Amino acid sequence: MIPETLTVERGVTAGDAWVTVAPANIHAALSALKDSGFRLLVFLTCVDHLADASREWAGRYEVVYQLRDMETREQLRVRAYVDGDPPHIDSVHDLFPPANWDERETYDMFGIVFDNHPDLTRILMPDDWLGHPLRRDYPVGGEVVEFSEEHERWQTAPDKA
Amino acid sequence: MSTEVGQGMTVTKTGEQGAFGGELLTINFGPHHPSTHGVLRLIVDLDGEQVRRLKPVIGYLHTGIEKQAEALRWQQAVVVTDRHDYLSPPINNLAYALAVEKLLGVDVPPRAKALRVIMSELTRLASHLVWLGTSGIELGASTMLMYCFRERDTILDMNEEISGFRMHTSYIRPGGVMADATPRFFEMLDRFVRTMPSNIDEYESLLTMNPIFRTRTIGIGRLSAEDAKVLGATGPMLRGSGVEWDLRKAMPYSGYENYDFEIATSDLCDCYGRYLVRIKEMREAVKILRQAMDQLPDGPVNIDDRKVLPPPREELETSMEAVIHHFKLFTEGYTVPPGDVYVAVESGRGENGCYVVSDGTHKPRRVKFRAASFANLQPLEQMAMNHMVADMVAIIGTADAVLGDVDR
Amino acid sequence: MGLEALAESLGQNVLTTTLGKLIGWGRGNSVWPLQFGLACCAIEMIHTATAGVDIARFGSEAMRASPRQADMMIVSRRVSQKMAPILRTIYDQMPEPKWVISMGACASTGGVFNNYALLQGVDKIVPVDVYVPGCPPRPEDLLNALMILQERIKAQGITPRQ
Repeated sequence: MIPETLTVERGVTAGDAWVTVAPANIHAALSALKDSGFRLLVFLTCVDHLADASREWAGRYEVVYQLRDMETREQLRVRAYVDGDPPHIDSVHDLFPPANWDERETYDMFGIVFDNHPDLTRILMPDDWLGHPLRRDYPVGGEVVEFSEEHERWQTAPDKA
Repeated sequence: MSTEVGQGMTVTKTGEQGAFGGELLTINFGPHHPSTHGVLRLIVDLDGEQVRRLKPVIGYLHTGIEKQAEALRWQQAVVVTDRHDYLSPPINNLAYALAVEKLLGVDVPPRAKALRVIMSELTRLASHLVWLGTSGIELGASTMLMYCFRERDTILDMNEEISGFRMHTSYIRPGGVMADATPRFFEMLDRFVRTMPSNIDEYESLLTMNPIFRTRTIGIGRLSAEDAKVLGATGPMLRGSGVEWDLRKAMPYSGYENYDFEIATSDLCDCYGRYLVRIKEMREAVKILRQAMDQLPDGPVNIDDRKVLPPPREELETSMEAVIHHFKLFTEGYTVPPGDVYVAVESGRGENGCYVVSDGTHKPRRVKFRAASFANLQPLEQMAMNHMVADMVAIIGTADAVLGDVDR
Repeated sequence: MGLEALAESLGQNVLTTTLGKLIGWGRGNSVWPLQFGLACCAIEMIHTATAGVDIARFGSEAMRASPRQADMMIVSRRVSQKMAPILRTIYDQMPEPKWVISMGACASTGGVFNNYALLQGVDKIVPVDVYVPGCPPRPEDLLNALMILQERIKAQGITPRQ
């Protein structure tokens, strides 16, 4: 299992076990977990906690690693909170090959920079795209729908609004 | 000397000599190419006709589904889950519904669970039929498409009967299912379950011993069990490499532990092995359908919680409380306790998971779909290495990537 | 055979029409679609081509993989910002005269996905002749669109798209 020195917090939410580690220790923690049997990285993603009032967050971005031990069928979620612009965290593609594309996707969508990644480029959006769409301060985009609330606001001149 | 080929990709040409005396050639496949199953783009380095390097470029069908789900309320987001893996909509619904139910801490009635299993298995059949038909065409067996889509049409008719819509049913929702199945649905299902085994025999008689098909698939696209596990492949890709792993058995959901079926595996580790696995899975799906029909429990199909699901139509005429609940639900939605949860279900192409984060409001904070095709595309380079270009088509075909699932 | 008898037999066996109508008739009944599947609607498009619905009855079963051989592009479903320039390139590669069917809500207006990633209607980059509503439309809907297009092609005569 993961050494206690690396963990910050651990718990269970709705039946899912999780553990929080400091972002600087993420590579060491995942390496220890991989040696203890969690050999499959199911997915890797990020959650943006911008203006989330449900509780105190250690950082704006929460990088989530879902691990699975295919022998014991045990699952564990590893979290690391990062901040900064752009936020940095170590890449784990050398431990888990599927992380390669997942990290590129997370970089593309959230702008998290994974240090030591071999080819950290945009994967889903075009190369010349500006911004990181899944950040909470990035607008959903699209067009104003007619007869909707937004359309009314859009039609009203600013001095009358 | 390096050439920029777009997508931040440079192919370095160091005057590399191939094994046949020529220089390596960089070829671009797609995104509009008839054999890449949609809009997959491949950049391939060829030595003569052999693949030396392969790089998939994805994102041509990026729909922003995860962002869209954040902008919709909990019950509205079901609609977008349908559309990411567009060959297995009810299974996507199921993953999302199970995740939301897990956060809400509710359990659906047994009849709803059985109906969910029926829809999941019908979808698995429909998805495998599309795979079989299109792969058949790519490998020169055009007849397969006609046969497979005949049965797929029957399944889509059943979808229409049960939910009113052919493809994107949105039938499975948090809290249960849309409505109970009609007697006509069960008649159709019964007829389907009786005729399907002989139809599968028919497909097999066309392909399994077909010398052309065998030559084009046996020994092509090898992926060892160890590689498949390390690279995160799931579904028929993993089982085709001889690993007995099926989420329906390993981590049963929606009452799958009550059904008697086998995990289809094959030790061939090649395209033919994956074909055999899918054919076997179709047979097992029919078996599960038969059992689900026979032991279908009676009772309600939705949880009895007015905060999550709308009241029945009859109640609206007599009860003021029901009207208020109805109004609140459709103007404001319901809230889900804060927390995050991951639920995985087995779709036609592997582990189709849903990671949901709630911040206690009436909209999800984050919905992440763990796409099976996204993970299954990564071993592509390993499988296609040193094969001919024409074999690459068979390999992409048996990887069965749905680009909507890859790009989301 | 006398001259009068000849004229009589010609009257029974020869139809007269304008060249425009003849060309329109020929074009309308042999619209070759481009095999261009994007997303969900592509599956319903395949359904239209299979035995159950059989688009061959309308002369459009010859799905061409190359845009240079195709007359009609069926934009089946959502077009992302990344795909849009490619779609336009493919459209430009098709020889005139050419027609576009926008199949499905996503291709026509963006559908449920009113967001940053999708082109809100394919008519922003290519001229669309027929819109097919639905998400995805039934195969019959696509056939109906094809029939509407055929009527239009037949009415256009020698020089369509003036």
